[in-house]
Amino acid sequence: MTSEPTAVIHDIGYRHYEGARLGRGSAALALAVNSLRGVFGLGRTARAKIMPFLLATIMLLPAVVSIAVMALLKQDGLPYPAYAVTMQAVLAIFLAAQSPYLVAPDLRFRVLPLYFSRPVTVVDYIGAKLAALAVAMFLLIAVPLTLLFAGELLVDRPGPPHTSQYLAAMGGAVVYAVLLAAIGIALASLTPRRGLGVASVIAFYLFTSAVSAVFFGVLLSIGRETAAKWAMLINPFFLVDAVQVALFGTDPSNGEGYPPGLWACLIVPVVIAVAVAGILLRYRKAASS
Amino acid sequence: MNTVVADITYRAMLGRKRIWLLVLLPVALVAIAALLRLIGGSDEHTAVLLMKTFAIGTMLPLLGLIAGTGVIAPEIEDGTIIHLLAKPISRPVIAVTKFIVAASLVAVFAAVPTFIAAYLLIRDESGVAYGFTLGALFGGVAYAAVFLLLGVITRHAVTVGVIYALVWEGLVGGYVPGARKFSIQQWAQSIADQVSSSPFFKTDVSLGFAVPAMIIVTLGALLWAGTRLRSLSITGDD
Repeated sequence: MTSEPTAVIHDIGYRHYEGARLGRGSAALALAVNSLRGVFGLGRTARAKIMPFLLATIMLLPAVVSIAVMALLKQDGLPYPAYAVTMQAVLAIFLAAQSPYLVAPDLRFRVLPLYFSRPVTVVDYIGAKLAALAVAMFLLIAVPLTLLFAGELLVDRPGPPHTSQYLAAMGGAVVYAVLLAAIGIALASLTPRRGLGVASVIAFYLFTSAVSAVFFGVLLSIGRETAAKWAMLINPFFLVDAVQVALFGTDPSNGEGYPPGLWACLIVPVVIAVAVAGILLRYRKAASS
Repeated sequence: MNTVVADITYRAMLGRKRIWLLVLLPVALVAIAALLRLIGGSDEHTAVLLMKTFAIGTMLPLLGLIAGTGVIAPEIEDGTIIHLLAKPISRPVIAVTKFIVAASLVAVFAAVPTFIAAYLLIRDESGVAYGFTLGALFGGVAYAAVFLLLGVITRHAVTVGVIYALVWEGLVGGYVPGARKFSIQQWAQSIADQVSSSPFFKTDVSLGFAVPAMIIVTLGALLWAGTRLRSLSITGDD
């Protein structure tokens, strides 16, 4: 015989949602937009806005100075392809300060299962976070470059504008953004603590830049110039600069040149792939806990 | 100094992922020294370069940052510091205890590997190994105190500390000679220069300025951190 069901779900009067359900794509997009706003502190407390806007302002300073130099002294300003390499410390600090914000709170407060109970999948979540950080890093490099280019056009120096250099630098900015975002999220997602995340991302940058500087100096002093140029590529900023040189034919920003060939263009995708694979593995585990 | 607080802090520092960052950098320093020896670049110039850019310039501020903020900032972030502050222990004593833990960690993880790396490269030639070890030791203690203070004053201690180490000591110090006077890294180098007689190594800050400055900064930071802990307010995270 079949017994009557005893458990009943009562309608206790919550209002139902009757609007359109936008599905997985919209959810991922909303997450990405919200993350991007959060990186710059929009929609967060005033204190959260200080750091990103301070760093973004510092990024603009060389562009402003370069425009002034072009207008007043009639000299060339900072070359476009060298912008990111010149400001690499600021970019690294921004990456270190903001990438833990994107991933650490969700891990720390164990809200990932809540995300994944919605149509958003692990891949969507990671994609949204990566896209948000990549767009933020791109804006951080591209806005000063564009300002500088606009300034160059307005100042109207004698001779043609450096349009090809500007475009090359913008192409380089895309590579910078994707590489840095992948590294930043991969390192920051290892720990649920924000402070430790900041420390590990900045440690990675300082470590790679110091190692490349030491090996470059030593290898050069014992006369192994080719090896010294390879040592340069340990620093992620010089690695992307080498891609710029190989793809767009810009001048090397390190003053020394890079190993010939397209090796850098091969290393960058490998690094990105390793970082993204690391993030995927990390979240496969985190999603179930 | 309170041994129970020290014990808890040591366990928190060494039992978590934080220890990986503390271990990886010194291991990398020794590995680089070994590698440089292998490729035949182990002269005094190389040793000074490695010590200056990597040991004092990169590893020391990072370890000071991780240890200095790590002993107190996570507890403040979690709010678990209340349990500690509610105990009948004087707040300055808590600050001093946390500082001793941080300073001892920096001494073990920064000064000892610095000596091993330098000794691996050039033995005790020109006193480079001893000089930089001493510099790393005192510089590390000063960094630990300053970053401990940062951990008590601000939620963004690590970011602020990174900006100090990278932008002030690295960028500004590189272009503006006056800024080097107010840089822990330079004070550590002054001490190293005093002990070593290497001709490849010159510092800008005199020892007569560096040592008193280091003592004042360390003690001042400790005092301030102790006072600050007495009126710490726990507010929500953003």
